Amino acid sequence: MHQPKLKSKVRCADREVGEITRVIVDPLSHEVSHIVVGGNGVGGAERQVPVSEVQSVADGLVQLRTASSALAQFPPLKREDYVTIHEVEIAHLEDHLHVESGEVLVPLPTLERNVPRRTFFMNLTHAIGTLVALPLAFPVLKYLMKPMYSPFDNAWLKVGNVNRIKTEDVGIQFKYKKKVKEAFMPETDVDKNVWLLKASPDVLEEVYKGKDMEFRDQAGRLVWTNKKDVPYVVFSGKCPHLGCGYKWRKVPKLGKEIFLCPCHLSIYEPSGKVLDGPAPRPLDTLPIRVDAGGNVEIIDMEFKAGTKAQTRIV
Amino acid sequence: MSSQPNVLEKVIAFVDERVGLKTLQAKMLNEPVPGGSRWAYIFGSVLLFVFIMQAVTGILLMFYYVPSADHAYASTQYIIHEVDYGWFLLSYHFWGSSAMVVMVFAHMSQVFLWGAYKSPREMIWLVGLALFGIVMGFGFTGYLLPWDQRAYWATTVGVEIMDKTPIVGDFMARFLKGGATPGQMTLSRFFVIHVMILPAALMGLAGLHIFLFRKAGPAGPFRGTPEELKAKTDYFFPRQIWKDMVAMGAVFATICSLAFIEPVVLLEEATPDPGEYHPEPEWYFLFLFQLLRLKIFSGEFGQFLGAIAIPGAFMALLAALPFIDRSPERNIFKRPVALIGWIVVMATILIFTVSAIINREFLD
Amino acid sequence: MTDQPTQMSSVKLGLAVAWPAFWTGMPIKIVLVLLLLAMGQHPWEFPGLAFLLLLSIPVDIWAVGLSGRTVLLERLGVEPPDSLGLTLWWQGAALYATYGSLACFLERQTIAGSKAVVARILDLELLKAIPIAERISIELTAWGSIAAVVLLALTLGGLFLFGKLVQRQADAASPTAASYEARIHQWDLMRVPADQPLMLTVVMAVGVTMVLLLWAVMPVTTPHPHESYKQDEKKAVPMLKPTDALQKAERVLTQAEASVQTLEEKAKKSKGKAPTTQDKKAAAKQKKA
Repeated sequence: MHQPKLKSKVRCADREVGEITRVIVDPLSHEVSHIVVGGNGVGGAERQVPVSEVQSVADGLVQLRTASSALAQFPPLKREDYVTIHEVEIAHLEDHLHVESGEVLVPLPTLERNVPRRTFFMNLTHAIGTLVALPLAFPVLKYLMKPMYSPFDNAWLKVGNVNRIKTEDVGIQFKYKKKVKEAFMPETDVDKNVWLLKASPDVLEEVYKGKDMEFRDQAGRLVWTNKKDVPYVVFSGKCPHLGCGYKWRKVPKLGKEIFLCPCHLSIYEPSGKVLDGPAPRPLDTLPIRVDAGGNVEIIDMEFKAGTKAQTRIV
Repeated sequence: MSSQPNVLEKVIAFVDERVGLKTLQAKMLNEPVPGGSRWAYIFGSVLLFVFIMQAVTGILLMFYYVPSADHAYASTQYIIHEVDYGWFLLSYHFWGSSAMVVMVFAHMSQVFLWGAYKSPREMIWLVGLALFGIVMGFGFTGYLLPWDQRAYWATTVGVEIMDKTPIVGDFMARFLKGGATPGQMTLSRFFVIHVMILPAALMGLAGLHIFLFRKAGPAGPFRGTPEELKAKTDYFFPRQIWKDMVAMGAVFATICSLAFIEPVVLLEEATPDPGEYHPEPEWYFLFLFQLLRLKIFSGEFGQFLGAIAIPGAFMALLAALPFIDRSPERNIFKRPVALIGWIVVMATILIFTVSAIINREFLD
Repeated sequence: MTDQPTQMSSVKLGLAVAWPAFWTGMPIKIVLVLLLLAMGQHPWEFPGLAFLLLLSIPVDIWAVGLSGRTVLLERLGVEPPDSLGLTLWWQGAALYATYGSLACFLERQTIAGSKAVVARILDLELLKAIPIAERISIELTAWGSIAAVVLLALTLGGLFLFGKLVQRQADAASPTAASYEARIHQWDLMRVPADQPLMLTVVMAVGVTMVLLLWAVMPVTTPHPHESYKQDEKKAVPMLKPTDALQKAERVLTQAEASVQTLEEKAKKSKGKAPTTQDKKAAAKQKKA
């Protein structure tokens, strides 16, 4: 059955009684629940008639079941118990409401009546919008990426003298200061440390595994080679697990001295090989150079923590 | 007849003529809540309130805080020790962030249990998940700003975990850190993200979230005959707003109380070597932190699995939820899979959070 | 169907009254807690705790009365008896003191017992090798589940007993003839005070007073200062008054001149003579200045 329309004539079983002055909608079901019949033949008040009394809905005419005499049984409308749908927010209420007959129209301006013209300007707007935003894309990306891939500093730093090392295969910590200048920040000294070891031939073999160790820069050029016959080995002071500073300790259970990281208990042999713990790779070796007077120089490097592969990051 | 309209009434009539104020007001406020306003529905509004308080206290903190590696710690200490009631505003901001996470969990749980993510509310749910991510992002970025040991190391570990994302992980981590290692660039970036990018994103998405919610209408209770629902229906204003207000007041008082019970105390200033300090993230990330300690997640692949793959898969499941669960049934007691799933997830998070706290004593 | 008053199980009834009553009282109690904290008192220690408990009594009576009346009207369809709040409160308090203490004791025993048992199980040779992180979670889940189940059972028991108390009140009350809608309307209107301006004024006055009290007692600087933070010791620098300073300088100079003169004269005469009266006067003047 169609929805009754506002202003439709209302007919009782016997005669016409008036017209639909208002329509009442149920807020939950979104269905028309009542029609309000007013106008002549009703005698004063508008009557609220439930939609179950409607027998049929035709164009502009609604037929009720009851006789006009029985119309008075329906309650008069208490307007203060209702609000219009413009005064309340009920989702999707008007989607299925078709109680208005006809539509209210507004003419399109003459200039907008040409469809090819509209589509052309629409597409042009999109094009120009893109072209305004696009030039920024590349500079902004480079702007944001500026500090992300800084070139490596491969300067040699003095850390001490080998005369501190008295015994073979014993780790000695060498502390040094590195000058760091980050972007616009004032230059500061950062405390760093490395572990030096005078390796016996066996340990040296463990470290180098028969090959000279090559260090390359980001472009792939050779920066330095640690010769495998030089007995001095230097390890980065940062544990390859998560970057904590580790220590040299004698462990009674093992009966020997090893490198021990206090953060997550990674244990390394003097050669840097992992004995126990979550370390993903052996201790990182650094380029080392010892002059005739026994002065030790290293290139300070840092490697990504937590990975099996050794990737230099600083 | 009534007397001449007073000044206020004249002003209102002036604006109403030009803006349609009365109709606008009616549309915005007279939204019927089927089944009546409920205390269970307050969490969304409370979230908005907590966010506004965070914005206000955050702006106030910015009057004194300096986001530079050599001043961040000192300026934060200055706020705590010298500025009148600075300790209170900072502690409020700190505890407010915890409150926001709690409210997000409560709000998401309420929507989930009431089945209010189902059709036609799928988009509201998706936008909500994005908002959840933003709230977590706020917590993560804000945590670094005091630049003490806890802040610096929790961030370092957190970003390293993100690094494990395949393909884009390294780029993402370097982008956030502003380089290979955390430093001034990291602080600058986290500050911009925390203070500009995330607030703008949150406000935009929250606006969208509320708009979509209004368009779909409130879902209402999951049981009750139409007659019961109709008898109890009331309007958003003033009934639901009243309940929202009371809840906001209670949450406000709770945050203030926490600020009094445990005001923010910083550790020592950040140093490149963690020393004796054991890094730990904020409490709402602890469960993930503890999960990664399990042996099954050790090693590179294991860490990726535990930190990226599993949480990622869970979030993907949540996003797909309205499209997988097409049954119109919203009664939680008739959705055993949903109910048990929710209980299991909440219990797991709780167990792992508490485990992380217990584990502190076993860190040699 | 909804017009017929429902018969509720005791547990459901207990929950239906206790749950809203708890949350109704919460906002007020939180404000009290906040005030206590601002004054530097911990609400979980005496004397703060005593203060909180005392003030909670009227709040709880009102809250349980309100939720009790609502449930009785809407769900059970009876007219709530007078002083329902007070009756339910003291009966509930008695229940809490007796059953509550027993339940607490039982729960504590369960926790301790299950913790011990689980620890023993995990100490077995078979399970000793489980790493610490896993062990913690397994232990927690094991004894936690047991404790949770027991807690749930005890809570349901408590709610059952409380529900019985509520039912007793309902049975003694007279049923109402009003329709469902009318009953909802009735409990709804119960929440609107008879004298609105009075109540609003009182609420605002009490609220503003509490806020002023809060502002007065709140600590200005942090109550937990950092151990290594050095507060700048600002001594009050006395204001420099230029005219006073110049006058003082003048006086000092005149004194100095006078003493120098005296000394010179002394020096001249000290080749034998005693000081003259003039010198003595000058010396006395110096002493005065």
